[in-house]
Amino acid sequence: MGAGIYVHIPFCKAKCRYCDFASFPDKIGLAESYMACVYREMAKRKEELKNYKFDTLYIGGGTPSVVDENYIAMLLAAARKNFNLSENAEITIEINPGTVSEKKIKTYLACGINRFSVGLQTAVDSQLAEIGRVHDLKQFLLCAKLLKGRNFSVDVMLGLKNQTLADVVKTIETAAYAGANHISAYALTPEDGTPIYTDYLNGELPDSDEVAALYEGALKRLKELGYERYEVSNFCKKGFESRHNLNYWRRGEYIGFGVSASSCINNVRMTNTYDLDEYFKCILTDRIPVISSEVIENDEREEEFIMLALRTSRGLDTLEFKRQFGGDFCEKYAAQIQKVREYIEFNGDFVKIKEQFLFVQNSVIIEFFR
Amino acid sequence: MRNDKVRNFCIIAHIDHGKSTLADRLMERTGQVSERDMEAQLLDSMDIERERGITIKLTPVRMFYKAKNGVEYEFNLIDTPGHVDFTYEVSRSLAACEGAILIVDASQGVEAQTLANVYLALENNLEILPVINKIDLPSARPDEVKKEIEDVIGLDASYAPLVSAKEGVGIDDVLEAIVEYFPAPESDTSLPLKALIFDSYYDNYKGVILFVRVKDGSVKTGDRIKTFRSDKVYEVVETGVFAPNLTPKNGLFAGDVGYIAASIKSIQDVAVGDTVINADAPAKEPLPGYKAVQSVVFCGIYPLDGSRFNDLKDAILKLQLNDASLIFEPDSSVALGFGFRCGFLGLLHMEIIQERIEREFGLEIITTAPSVSYKVVKTDGEEIFVDNPSHLPPVSEIEHLEEPIVKADVYSPPDYLGQIMDLCREKRGTFLQMTYLDKSRVKLEYNLPLNEIIFDFFDAVKSRTRGYASFDYELIGYERSKLVKLDILLNGEVCDALSMIVHEDSAYNRGRMLCENLKEAIPRQLFEVPVQAAIGGKIIARETVKAVRKDVLAKCYGGDITRKKKLLEKQKEGKKRMRQIGNVEVPSEVFMQILKTNKD
Repeated sequence: MGAGIYVHIPFCKAKCRYCDFASFPDKIGLAESYMACVYREMAKRKEELKNYKFDTLYIGGGTPSVVDENYIAMLLAAARKNFNLSENAEITIEINPGTVSEKKIKTYLACGINRFSVGLQTAVDSQLAEIGRVHDLKQFLLCAKLLKGRNFSVDVMLGLKNQTLADVVKTIETAAYAGANHISAYALTPEDGTPIYTDYLNGELPDSDEVAALYEGALKRLKELGYERYEVSNFCKKGFESRHNLNYWRRGEYIGFGVSASSCINNVRMTNTYDLDEYFKCILTDRIPVISSEVIENDEREEEFIMLALRTSRGLDTLEFKRQFGGDFCEKYAAQIQKVREYIEFNGDFVKIKEQFLFVQNSVIIEFFR
Repeated sequence: MRNDKVRNFCIIAHIDHGKSTLADRLMERTGQVSERDMEAQLLDSMDIERERGITIKLTPVRMFYKAKNGVEYEFNLIDTPGHVDFTYEVSRSLAACEGAILIVDASQGVEAQTLANVYLALENNLEILPVINKIDLPSARPDEVKKEIEDVIGLDASYAPLVSAKEGVGIDDVLEAIVEYFPAPESDTSLPLKALIFDSYYDNYKGVILFVRVKDGSVKTGDRIKTFRSDKVYEVVETGVFAPNLTPKNGLFAGDVGYIAASIKSIQDVAVGDTVINADAPAKEPLPGYKAVQSVVFCGIYPLDGSRFNDLKDAILKLQLNDASLIFEPDSSVALGFGFRCGFLGLLHMEIIQERIEREFGLEIITTAPSVSYKVVKTDGEEIFVDNPSHLPPVSEIEHLEEPIVKADVYSPPDYLGQIMDLCREKRGTFLQMTYLDKSRVKLEYNLPLNEIIFDFFDAVKSRTRGYASFDYELIGYERSKLVKLDILLNGEVCDALSMIVHEDSAYNRGRMLCENLKEAIPRQLFEVPVQAAIGGKIIARETVKAVRKDVLAKCYGGDITRKKKLLEKQKEGKKRMRQIGNVEVPSEVFMQILKTNKD
C-alpha cells in the first residue's frame, strides 16, 4: 500500500463558527506566496522521500477552492515533480459551494484531480447561516450540477442547533439526489475557543443522546439510499471509499505540507506550525516548519493501530497486525477480548466492533489501551 | 536531688480554648524558641493539625525555667489533643505526668469535654492547676468562671492564674504556679529500669523511636533493653529529650521524659502502654498500661489500586505505631477486593487517619460508608457485635438488634433552637433537657442513635446554625431498635460495599435517596444498569442508569491521531479509577460520596 500526501490550504471566505482548523479568511491576499512556499517545502523533502510510492493526494483546508485554480494545477505539478505519485492515484480536493465555477472544475480535472469533497453540512438555509457558512442550498445545487457524473463526496453535520432528524434526512437526500457517491456524516464537536463552544456551554446544542438519535436516523436513511458505512462517520456506494482516509485508518504512512499539516513517516509523527507568518519564515530561511515531533514507540503503534482499525466497519486485520507487530492479536489480547466479547465479532481474519456499538466505540477501544 | 527540679505536666482543655497557644507562650518565655523563630502553634507539627487548628498527636517538649526562688527547673510538657475523639491520646499523656494545667475559657466557661478530661486526670492522681484564659476578650467573666470551676468541678480556683495566652499576659504566674503546685516526680534511680512507652513513631534511619516516661531506674546508650510483653532484646543506640525536636542526651533517669532509639525494626514488637525494662536486670512488675480503647466508628479501607494492598498494610501498621487507638483487621469485599476493616474513636479520627494515609504514604484509598457496631442478639441467645453490614447473620437467626446510643450536648445561641430541635427529631433523638448557660448560649441535651450522627450530623448542625453551634457526644450504651439491612443491587447483583444497617422507618427514604445518588454517580455504560435498593429480598426503590448512546471521536485523520489517542488515554485513566462490580464500572469516590445525604 502506498503512502498519502496531504496539502493544507489555510484560506477561506469566512470562518465558520465551529471551525478550529488553521484558516485565515483575512489573509487570502497571501495565497500566491503561500502556495510558492508549499512547492518549496515539497522540493525540500524530495530526497528524503525518494523511495516512497504515493497512492493518494488530498488537498484540504480551509477552502482550497478559494485560491486561484492555477495554483492548484501548479501544486499538482510540483507534487509529481518531487514525488513518485502513482498513475492511478486518488487525488481529492475539498471545495465549498459558492467558491467554484465551471472553469475551476475544468482546470481541476485537467490537472488530474479525480475526486471532490463538497462541504454542504446541512441543506437547511437557516442552519447554514447559524453556523456561519457562506453558501445556501441553492449554491450547493449549482456546485453539484458542475460535478454531475464526477466522483464526489458530501460532508454532512449532525448535532446543529435546532436540527431535527427530518433536517438530517433532507440533507442526506439532497446529497444523494445530487449524485454523491460518498457521504461523510460527522457529529459536531464543539471545540473550546470556537464561537459555537459558547452555544454548547449554554446548552443550546443537542445533547449526546439527541445526536445519537440523529446519527441512527442518518444511518438508516443512508442505507436505504445505497450507502454502506465503512467507517463510523463515512458512507459510500460500493467501491467509492476514500483511499486517502483508509490509509490513515490502516495506520499507513503519510506526508503533510503547509501550515498545521501532519506527517507520519518511519514512526515519527511531525506537525507543522499553525502560524502562517512562522511558516513563511521557516520556509524562506530553509528551516523546517515543524512545531512538534514525536517518535511513536512500539506499544503506542499497537494502540494506534487498534484505535484506528476499530473505527472501520471492516475492523482490525489480524494478518496485518501479525505482519507489523508479530504475534497473534487474539492471543495477545485474549483478556481484553474476553472483556468486550459482547461488543465485538470475528469475521475471517478480521476483528470488528459490532455494528450497533460503533457509535460507542471508545468504551470498547480503551479496553485495549494500557 | 535532681528530681526536685523536674516538673512533668500536660495541658488539658476544651477544643479551641487556647491550649496550643499557651504551650507556645511557655516555650517562648522559657527561651526554648526565640520569638523570631516562633511559628504559630509550634507543637502542632502535622500539616493536618495546623490546617484544621487542632491537636491530634501528643507532642512532648522540655524547657528550663529559672524560678523566682533562684532555682532552675526542668519542665517536661506533653501537649494533648482536645477533641473528644482523641481521649485515648490524652490518657496516654496523663500517665506520663504528675500535674495537669486545666485551661478554661474566660467567656465560655466549663464545657463537657473539659469535665471529661478533668476526670481522666483525677483518675491518674494528677494535681490540677486551673488557668483562666482569654481574659483579654470583652466577654470575659473570670470571676463567674472561677465560681463555675469550684461549683461544677469542685476544684479550688482561688489561685488560678488569669491569663491571655494570645497577648502574653499572666504567663509568669503560670510558670511559678507549675513550680509551686505540681509535685516533683517520685522515683528512684537505684531501682531496676521501668519506663512507660507513651508514644512511638517510625524513623527511616533509626527505626522505631520510643517516647518514654522513666518511672524507676535509668537507661543509657549501650544498655540492653526489652519490653515486658516481648522477648526481643535491643541495644540502646541513642537516648534524648524533646527540645522540642529530638535532642540526644546520654542517659535518662527516673522522672525523665525522653526518647529511646534501639534499632527496633519491627513495629509490632513495641506497643504503646508497654513497659521498657533492662534485659540484664529486669524489673518484675510492669507499670499499669492504658485502658483498651473502644472503637466507635468503623469503615473499610481499600487501596484504589488493588495491587497496592501491601503498601496500605504497611501504612496502617506505621500509623498504628503512632496511634494505638487505630484498630484494624484484614477484610475483603467482593466489590473492592482486599483491604482492612478499621475502627476509630470517632468521625474526626476516621477522617484524620484517611487523610494521613493519603498524605503521608501517598496512597489513594477507597473508604466505605462509616458504620457503628451493632449488638446482634441471635435466636439461640448468643450475642455478637457486627460493625460490617455484610457480616450480619441471616434474618432468620436474629432475635433482635441493638444500636449504640450517645448523649449529645449541643451548644447554640438561642436563635437556632428550633432548627436544632428539628434536626435532632429527624435523627430519632430523645430530648433530655435544655439549659440556658447565659443569655447567648443554650445547652441542649439529647440521646441520639450513633448511626444517625455519623453521616452528616455535624455538617447539618453547622449549616443550620450558620456555624454558631457546636456539639459533643459520649457513648452511653445500647438500645433495642428496629433495624434492617439495606442492600444495593447493581444490575441485579448485591454490592456488599454499599450495604448498610438503617432504622426501619428511614429505610425507604434512605434506599430511594441512595438509588438517586447512585444514578447520578455511576457513569452510563454500554448497557442499561438497574440500581435497586432492597431489604431482605424485597425491592423498595429503583432507578436506571441509561445505556450510553454516543461515545466516539467523530473525526480521526492524519493530524488528529496523537490528540485523539491522548483523549482516549485520559478516558482510560478515568476507567482505571473505577471498580468493577459484577459487570458494572463504578467510580471509587462513589462509596464515600453517595452517603453524603445532606441536601440542606
